[in-house]
Order: sequence, then structure tokens, then C-alpha cells
Amino acid sequence: MVNNPLIKAWFALLGLSLGSALLTMTPVPPAVMGGGILLLALIKGRIILARYLELAHSPAWLRGFTIVLTGFAVLIFGLYSI
Amino acid sequence: MSDASLIDELPGELLMWVLIISELLVFGAGMVAFMGVRLTDPAGFAEAQSHLHRTGAAFNTAVLVTSGYLAAQALQWRQVARRGVARLALIGAAFLGVVFLVIKGVEYADKAAQGISYESHPFFLFYYLLTGFHAAHVLAGVGILLLVTWRDDPRNIEAGAQFWHMVDLVWIMLFPVVYLLG
Repeated sequence: MVNNPLIKAWFALLGLSLGSALLTMTPVPPAVMGGGILLLALIKGRIILARYLELAHSPAWLRGFTIVLTGFAVLIFGLYSI
Repeated sequence: MSDASLIDELPGELLMWVLIISELLVFGAGMVAFMGVRLTDPAGFAEAQSHLHRTGAAFNTAVLVTSGYLAAQALQWRQVARRGVARLALIGAAFLGVVFLVIKGVEYADKAAQGISYESHPFFLFYYLLTGFHAAHVLAGVGILLLVTWRDDPRNIEAGAQFWHMVDLVWIMLFPVVYLLG
């Protein structure tokens, strides 16, 4: 059961969500908090793409989606940091 | 590798992926516009954001990723002919979608009680547009999950689950942008 990739993905998503919540309560500079939150969201998005949407079986598509999602997160961070 | 084989690598129906990419682009553009308008009044956006229920929204993240797990697991169970448990998982996924909507409804009711509307500040215009449009997708997703519970061909479940994961993915990005980046 623990070897089930879907269960691992689910636990990882819950853990990363908890990490985001904890990060908002940590006294760190806004840029660090914003960057950290977006990084965690990016990792969560990649897990959903890879495991829930099964793109782990199609590395080229997973790579493409990850690149676009990363570009989006960088753009949001840039707008947040200005 | 030819283009045809690359497209064939996508799990499920190609048109579902066209829909998923289209939806991600629409929500992505909305979030970029939100962050762009925020530049005109960062202090006002931060103040407006302080009225949101971060805890409720964070809980809703857990609700949606758990619902997504059930939908993904339902497909795997149906593919090995475990129809009963697959249907239960789909019903569970749909139920959690309803839980998400109830929490969202409480959040909207609280804003209304505070006299906050989409006209109160540009932040709230985007807040209602983005979260409301997403909630409409959750509502549609609940209907789709119940439909594929009834018509439980594996291809139907795969398409329904993919729609649901798209809704999940949008929320994963929408939550930090609207609720956390103040």
C-alpha cells in the first residue's frame, strides 16, 4: 500500500500544503515567503501532472508542462517582487 | 520520435488535453492580470487580502487533493474490474467537491456579511471572478464525477478524473496567488 504511487503523491501534496501554511506563519522576508510558497505550489502542480494526470508515463509531456508551469511561477514571482 | 507518436503518449483523449490546456491558459491569464493590477495598489491589495479566510482556503486545498486522489484511484480500480470500490471512490471524490463548495459558500457569505462585494476594491473583483469561475468548474466537476459513476466505462472515468485533476491543478496555483501573496 505504501508503494502505491498515488498514495505517495497524496501524502506529498498534503505535506507540501502544510509546508505552505507553516511558511506563511514564519517570520521571513516577503520575497523569501513568496518565492517559497510559489516553489511549493510548483512542486504540487508537478505531482498532480505526473501522478494524478499520469504524465509520469510520458516524460516529454511532463517536461513540457513543467517548463510552462515554471515560467508561469517565475512570472508571478516577478510581478510579486516588483 | 514523430509528432503522431508524441501525441499518442498523452493518457486519455486528446480533446480532453485540449480542454485542460485551454482552461489552464485562461486561469493563468487571469492570475497574471490579477498580479499586474496589484502593482497599481499593493497596500490596498494586501489590506483587502487580510479579509480572506486563509485557513478555510488551506483546508479546501487538502479537500481537493484528497478528492483528486480518490478520482485517480477510482480509475485504477476500475481498470482492474473493481467496479464497486471504484464507484465508491468516485462518490467520495464528488462528496469532497461538495465540501469544497460549502466552505467556499461560507466564505462568500462571510464577505457579504462584512459588506464586501466585487465593487469594494479591484482585489475583490478578481477574487470573485477567479474563485467564482473556479467554483463553477468544481460544480461542473461534481456533476461529471457523478455521471461517470453511473456510466462507469474506464474511458469515461479517465476523462472525468482528468477534468477533476485540472480543477485541482488550477486551485493549487490560484490559492497562493489570491490568498497568500499579499
